[in-house]
Order: sequence, then structure tokens, then C-alpha cells
Amino acid sequence: MDPVKILHQMLFGGLAAMGFGVLFNMHRRHLLLCVLAGGLALGTRTVGQQLGWSLEAASFAAALAVGSVVQVFQERIGVSRNILDVAGCIPMVPGLFATKAILGFFSLTTPEPSNPNEILISSVEYFLRVAFTIGAIGTGLAIPSMLLRVLDRKK
Amino acid sequence: MVESDIVVESATLEDIAMLAMEFGRIMMECGSSASIVEEYVVRVARGLGARRVDLRIGYASLAITVGISDEGITRMRKVGYLGVNQRMGQSLRELVRRLEVEKLSLSLTRSELTRLVQENPRHPGWFVDIAVGLACASFGRLLNIDWNAFLPVFAGATLGQCFRRQLTRRQVNVFITATLVAFLASFVSGLTARWCGSQTVPIAMVAAVLLLVPGVPALNAQYDIMNGYPTLGNARAVWVGTILIFLTIGVWLGQMALGEGR
Repeated sequence: MDPVKILHQMLFGGLAAMGFGVLFNMHRRHLLLCVLAGGLALGTRTVGQQLGWSLEAASFAAALAVGSVVQVFQERIGVSRNILDVAGCIPMVPGLFATKAILGFFSLTTPEPSNPNEILISSVEYFLRVAFTIGAIGTGLAIPSMLLRVLDRKK
Repeated sequence: MVESDIVVESATLEDIAMLAMEFGRIMMECGSSASIVEEYVVRVARGLGARRVDLRIGYASLAITVGISDEGITRMRKVGYLGVNQRMGQSLRELVRRLEVEKLSLSLTRSELTRLVQENPRHPGWFVDIAVGLACASFGRLLNIDWNAFLPVFAGATLGQCFRRQLTRRQVNVFITATLVAFLASFVSGLTARWCGSQTVPIAMVAAVLLLVPGVPALNAQYDIMNGYPTLGNARAVWVGTILIFLTIGVWLGQMALGEGR
């Protein structure tokens, strides 16, 4: 475990979530919640990765943690849950991998690509990681709200 | 007499259908997922007196059927650009709660909705630009850019967001906007990161365009598919993929301009 790395990721994850909270036109009093949600997401993901989990598994655990905490405290914080947990998880969306995958596919179409097999494999790998990571985040966020809906129906 | 009653009833149904769809349209344009839109549209229509409500949610249109006793009508309306506006979404939800609890009339609900749309408070543009710049620079740190590239990414992304606001105000096509903004942000961040002696220029150039990555539509696409709206979910996914391609073209142009490879 590297606590400095975890704190670093939490700080910048929180700042990134806050910036996107502003872009999503969240009220100023809710921006601190974005920082906390982003910090929790990146903290959980980094701990998972330091335990040897894959990026996808760590992202799933982080989204599940953020989704659960936001569901539990939703009444008290008074902000729509689906936007707060999404803002918290936005820093985990693998935009770099998506860009690298598409750039790789672009370079395959040049007249004489160098190492085409290697480029193809790395591009497909990036593409799959994007798909699986977004899938992991979406599933992690959806599970708490779907379970809560079932519990609400039982009441 | 009977004819007159039918006219009154169908006018009411018309009003209920159109007002419920207006809620749905604005919620869609504020970034709500399909299940949330359906839940609130049904609550509005029922709160205004409809007994039966059926809604079809498409990417660019909504269709609703509302009925009272034996009468029913179906109406459709267009949905505009799907952005994200949390404050407006929150205000709409509160208005729906008031409609149910305080039993608001149709005309009062409509006037409250008009007031919300007209007021629609937003952060100042400069504040959004700086916040987005900070978010992208923080993204950069998460992607392991060195400290020499932190301020360049901040500057490139801030400038990119400012440029995006100007293009959006002029109603430039969203895909063309993505390419132009990505080019400007990646070029500025790459050039200044190089001047600052950064060893992570290629990553800095990508970090500066992460403001364009459509995270909310990507997650909504998955929610919609999981919640039984595969058509809308797939439409959102195609839109996300297309934005990513146009965004990457901008980064690629920036890399060509600076002579940076993969």
C-alpha cells in the first residue's frame, strides 16, 4: 500500500469531479459533495489496484462504493442521486484509452503502417478496456439504485 | 351537450399530454436517463388527472398516450440537444413533488415550469472555464503527467472550454465543435508543455481534451439498455462513439501540427 499515492489520487479525483460538477451546472453548495464523491471513487479504485485488481475490477468496486454511499445519504444531502454519483465517477471514465484506441486505428489506415500487428493488438486492447471499464462503472452505479427500487416496492 | 363535453375533455387531455411531454423534453435535455424521464412524465400526467399514461422515449422525440375514462389521445414532440444541467433537473423534480403534494392546477404548473425555464440559473462562463481547466489538469495528474505539464493542461483546457462556449452559442454542429475544441486544447497544452520542459507532452495533449469525453451520455446509454430502453441506449452509444472519433481527429491534428507521434 502506498498511502501518498492514494491521497494524491483522491485529491485530484475530487478536483476533477468538482470541475465536472460545475460543467453539469450543479449548485455551488453541492460542489463539495462532488469532491467527496470523486475522492471516494479514486481512493477506492487506487486501493483496489494496489491490491492487485485489474482496472476494470477496481473501477467496479469504486462505482459500487460511490453509488451505495450516495443512495444511503441521498435523503439527507437533498441532491438527485443519479447526477452526484455520475459526477463522482466521471474521473474514472477512460478517455485516454478511448483516444489511444482510435488514434491506433487511424494509424493502421496510413499507406505503410509500421508494426501493424502490434498497433492492431494494442488498439483492440485499449478499446476493450474502455468498453469493460465503462461497463464496470455503469453496473457498479446501477446495482445500488436497482436494489433500492426493489426495497421501495416491498415497503 | 354530449359533443361539448367531449370537446372539453379532449382539450384537457391535450393540455395534460403536452405539459407532461414538456417536462419529459426538458428532463431529457438536462441529461436524465430514460427511466427517470418516464417516471416523472407519468407522475406529472397522473398528477394532472390522467388515468392511463404510456410513453415512448426516442433519442430525438417523445410520444405519449394519455387517457381519462374512455377517451385518449396520442401526441408526439421533438427533443433538442441532450446536454447536462443538474440544477434544472433538480428543480423539475421538486416541481413534480409540489404538483403531487399541493395538487397544483394545470395552469399553475405550466406557469411554474415557464418560470423555471426562464430563470435557469447558471454559473458564470469564466467560472466554468476555470473549473473545467482545473478538472482536466487534475485528470492529467491521474494519468501521470509531470508537474511541468500541469499548468499547460490547465491553460489548454480552459481555453478549449471558452472556445466551446462560443461555438455552442453560435449553434455550430456539436461534432465539428468537438474537433475544433480538441485541436485547440491539445495544441495549446502540447506547445506550452514542451516550452515548460515536460516529459509527458503526448499525455498532456490528451488530458486537455477530456472535457469533451461524453461521460454522462456513455453511462446513460448503459442505464437505458439495462432498464429496458435498448433503442435509446444504442442511439446514445452511437452518439458517444461518434463524438470520440471527432474528438480524436482534433487531437490527431494537434499532434500533426506539433510533430508528436503516438
